[in-house]
Amino acid sequence: MDRAAPLSGIHRRLRLATAIGALLVLLGTYLVSATDRADAAPGQAGADFGTNVIRVAEFPADCTYSHRLPDDPIIFPGLPGASHMHSFFGATVTNANTTLPDLVRSPTSCNPAVDVSSYWVPTLYRDNVPVEPAIATFYYLGEGVRSDVVANTQPFPQGLRLVAGNAKATGPNDSIARWSCLHAGQVPPSKDFVNCPSGTMLESYLDFPQCWNGRDLDSPDHKSHLAYPVNQACPSTHPVHVPKLRQVLRYPVTGDPSRFRLASGPGYTMHGDFFNAWPVAEMARRVQDCIRPVIKCGHDGRPI
Amino acid sequence: MRRSTVSTVLVAGLLVAGCGTEPGDTTSTSTPPATVRPATGSASTPTGTAGPFNPTDIAWLQLTVAMAERLLPVLDSVPARTKDPAWRRLADQIAATRRADLARAHRLLAEAAAPTTNPHEGHDMPGMVTAEQLTALRAATGEPFHRLLAEHLRAHLAQSVRVATAARRNGGQPATVALAADVVRADSADLERLDDLVATRTSDDAQPA
Repeated sequence: MDRAAPLSGIHRRLRLATAIGALLVLLGTYLVSATDRADAAPGQAGADFGTNVIRVAEFPADCTYSHRLPDDPIIFPGLPGASHMHSFFGATVTNANTTLPDLVRSPTSCNPAVDVSSYWVPTLYRDNVPVEPAIATFYYLGEGVRSDVVANTQPFPQGLRLVAGNAKATGPNDSIARWSCLHAGQVPPSKDFVNCPSGTMLESYLDFPQCWNGRDLDSPDHKSHLAYPVNQACPSTHPVHVPKLRQVLRYPVTGDPSRFRLASGPGYTMHGDFFNAWPVAEMARRVQDCIRPVIKCGHDGRPI
Repeated sequence: MRRSTVSTVLVAGLLVAGCGTEPGDTTSTSTPPATVRPATGSASTPTGTAGPFNPTDIAWLQLTVAMAERLLPVLDSVPARTKDPAWRRLADQIAATRRADLARAHRLLAEAAAPTTNPHEGHDMPGMVTAEQLTALRAATGEPFHRLLAEHLRAHLAQSVRVATAARRNGGQPATVALAADVVRADSADLERLDDLVATRTSDDAQPA
């Protein structure tokens, strides 16, 4: 499998970064309060952190549906037609033979247009007719771990390939899928399809693992080079904290769940594939400006 | 502009903090982790005695195992469901080919030190009989059974030829590419036999009793 260049002294570095993270938070707090004062006295010199920053570590990419193919360049590289049907988002060129250089040169369906990553999911069918999401958002988040871990988030390495969810799930118990209804919170979320009232949308949430082993861009099962956090921190086997990728798909369908199926099977087989092709500097900037200081950013990677 | 001031302050803070510790650590606090190798198809997969395996080799071998394991129960159901010697013969022959392919694929996966499971095994994949289809098949006899059997065999063989053709082209490890070539040849021949058998039986049906 591909490996990233080794990171030297990761543990030592983590300890240091923890301290830096704490410093950052302190500094941020100071700057926000300083800004409050600055705003109260117009013209006064001083850093302006923005009084209205939202303290959520997040930057998004909204990527409209691009194309469908029975291909999977992570699971079945070089084998067109080997997969069940996938719906692709982001890079518009992705097929069975796609590699990182192809993505870097690709047009994209994402806002921001710098995100030329490829994202794909099993196609949803209603009555055996494909349905594509009206809205597909890929959030990069700093959450689910301690604040000092968030403050030391590292960018995803370019070329990383990752699969989340369980396409082989035989029931809800071995699945992390989550189905719900947009604007209908009264419908309880489920690991399988839910019955959404008309006027709403069927939505799927999927969280990717956020702890990287610091070494591999892929692994034999396409999953185990990353891990989910344990007790709000990354395990020692996967010590590098990267953004938590949250895939949110809104499908313009409602009603009887028995009419729905995924190309991979029932709703609990929902899974997502991510092939990271963000320009290194753009991803690094967003991690530094949005995730580590816990600031909600827009598509441009600037505070909202 | 406003934010760049802040960034400058933050970066300055980081650098100051970094300078207070071991020099080697200063760069690692705010920069992304190291450069990475491009994700090309020639990744560092294990090297067998007969040459290196590329990701296409591994993926195809795993898929071949998954597909063969899904088809064998279909073929094994044939003797109990039909007395037609021609169908039995065809099923026997395809099963023998599948078992031989399966053994070769297992050997190659072991050589590559790769898991033998297919990541998408167990779900609706092209050319794979679903559990529901297998149940329906096991409940059928006579002509309906022959029809279902023909449909599943055709879907399997066509998909097998399709992916083996791609593996022959995009694979790298010589023994794997050779297996892919054998599969293309054998399964194309079996497809023809299947079509011939179906044609024979259809013309039989068309003749007056």
